[in-house]
Amino acid sequence: MVQKRVLIFAEQVNGELQPIGLELLGSGRLLADKLGATLSALVLGSNIAHLSSTLIGHGADEVFLADHPELAQYRTLPYRRVITDLIKSWPQPPHIILLGSTTTGRDLAPRLAAYLETGLTADCTELDIGPFEYSNSKDPSKSGLFPNCLYAIRPSFGESLKARILGPWKNPQMATVRPGVMVPLAWNGSRRGEVFQVPVQLDPSDLSLQIVETVRNLSQAIDLTRAEVIVSGGYGLGSPEGFELMEQLAACFPNSAVGSSRKAVDSGWIPYAHQVGQTGKTVRPQIYIACGISGAIQHRVGMDKSQTIIAINKDSSAPIFKFAHYGIVGDLYQVVPEMIRQLQQGQPQPQASPSERIPVLQGQ
Amino acid sequence: MESFVLIKQVPDQSSKAGINSDGTIDRAKAKRMLNPFDRYALEAALQTKRQHGARVTAITMGPPPAMEILYEAIAHGADRGILMTDRRLAASDTLATAYTLAQTVRYAGSPDLIFCGLQTTDGDTAQVGPQLAERLGIPQVTYCEAFEIRDGILLARRAIEGGSQTVTVSLPALVTVANSAQRLAYQTLRGARRVQHLMRDEAARAEVIQIINLDDVGADPERCGLKGSPTIVAATEKVGEIGGNCQVFQGQSVPSLVKSLREAASISSYIGAG
Ligand SMILES: Cc1cc2nc3c(=O)[nH]c(=O)nc-3n(C[C@H](O)[C@H](O)[C@H](O)COP(=O)(O)OP(=O)(O)OC[C@H]3O[C@@H](n4cnc5c(N)ncnc54)[C@H](O)[C@@H]3O)c2cc1C
Repeated sequence: MVQKRVLIFAEQVNGELQPIGLELLGSGRLLADKLGATLSALVLGSNIAHLSSTLIGHGADEVFLADHPELAQYRTLPYRRVITDLIKSWPQPPHIILLGSTTTGRDLAPRLAAYLETGLTADCTELDIGPFEYSNSKDPSKSGLFPNCLYAIRPSFGESLKARILGPWKNPQMATVRPGVMVPLAWNGSRRGEVFQVPVQLDPSDLSLQIVETVRNLSQAIDLTRAEVIVSGGYGLGSPEGFELMEQLAACFPNSAVGSSRKAVDSGWIPYAHQVGQTGKTVRPQIYIACGISGAIQHRVGMDKSQTIIAINKDSSAPIFKFAHYGIVGDLYQVVPEMIRQLQQGQPQPQASPSERIPVLQGQ
Repeated sequence: MESFVLIKQVPDQSSKAGINSDGTIDRAKAKRMLNPFDRYALEAALQTKRQHGARVTAITMGPPPAMEILYEAIAHGADRGILMTDRRLAASDTLATAYTLAQTVRYAGSPDLIFCGLQTTDGDTAQVGPQLAERLGIPQVTYCEAFEIRDGILLARRAIEGGSQTVTVSLPALVTVANSAQRLAYQTLRGARRVQHLMRDEAARAEVIQIINLDDVGADPERCGLKGSPTIVAATEKVGEIGGNCQVFQGQSVPSLVKSLREAASISSYIGAG
């Protein structure tokens, strides 16, 4: 019997696996077990051999490594070429392919899906396997009972609905998955797996895009999805200067970062990289402090898995008080400075050094 | 130089009109608007017009009322518009949409640059831009925050996790524009007058805005709409309201809040024992 595969794309940056890869493995393991399939992890990069044991320890049955200097940093076309060449070399396409809905995954997945002429569901928050019976008089060719479908579940209509998207008519069935939602399996050093080298053959046309510079302000530190405490500012800040206050509050905690609502981003007060929510990042820190944020559903979905939510808002009927754990009704410009004073009082605070936190970038 | 900008009319989710009680959208009744992300794409295309004299073509696919957003683009300074409209396009997923748009783009000319919004507010996938680039066989720059064109080379900055990346790529290329790029300026007086004229004068309109269907662009109907879509929405479920038990501190009660935080075992380690 031909091998059935669930393939996950594991992102690496400077030879370091990104958390999304392990999250995809956690979710992929469940799917592969239900399907009786092999869970395969694919990594592209340069000098990445050391990553395979991590991937196997976190659930992969096999790891495909494409190791080549031109693949050191992610670029759409070389990555697209290597992955589609690999898939074409197999006797049948993978049953399922999963990527993260990161800037990389959302750049790459649609190109793969278009090349493979298959369906792709964006930004899923739940995945499962199940049967699907379908008949449609307008398109009878699609009718039938499909036993092992990917249930790709994603929020829709401004997050008021969960939609289950199916596409069993073509393989692979593909989805991108929100970072921070799926739970990685615990490391198990006794797991065994196979490692394969992927041949890399690039066409000159794949190299038309050159990277001039990559700036990762957070590379040695943490990013929003890894911060343990997030202080987020919304439209209630009233001006970009409000984010300086957010920075000061964040500085009261170790491993902290500054987030924001979309309205603050759209107002040009803080760069998009800080946006939390449906069209921003999904975060689940230990503590999330929302200052001047109403708690719109599109913001909520990005942060409601936070361990403890603290809301500061002058409107006692703001929706955020419906799901926060602690709330203060009051003007943030009075509350936050007092909070900073209280937090600093009495004990030596482990002040986070600025490099450990996400700096607020100004301007374009 | 030829710049195309792909825009979409979406339901205005901030207006209650046309939102059914189960949260789905009654598209016939819903208030409509230009997809907010596409405003950045339109501004980017207009930038190539201001700086390089590009001719800007706005393209949309949708039911006939989508004409409204072509007028809007022209009022802002786009030179011409194309409306791809056809009943056979109903239920298109992103793959089918990208196929139809690729055929439409080929029909409309050979652009040096194609601008798309990062994503739409109704589908929210961010997939159509890259899928279109794949179909056209051209490179893409997604999450573009700022760009310049120098000697036929696009120099662009794109957002990535925790930072940004500057890239160069030769044209033609497709760019999806992130919402931290330049905002759309006001409509121009000249543009607004032009639209008024086009709305009154059908012959003049036909010269500026083309209304086309699948046959015009030689698209295979089997690859469009429901038939060409490998995915469908099989079920939807309403997301329940979550009833919290928020402990609310009124007014100037910061000390009591901080005290409670210090006492909560799960939080105290982050803020010190007090
Ligand atoms: C398709 C789509 C996607 C979206 N994606 C996102 C997303 O990813 N992330 C996101 O955040 N939003 C997103 N939104 C927008 C979202 O619907 C809300 O508009 C947005 O979250 C509101 O931001 P806000 O809470 O900062 O502003 P507002 O809703 O304007 O709330 C400001 C709050 O501040 C309070 N306030 C004002 N002054 C003070 C003060 N001095 N002290 C204390 N409180 C004060 C007010 O009482 C109010 O509650 C999306 C919308 C759509 C349609």
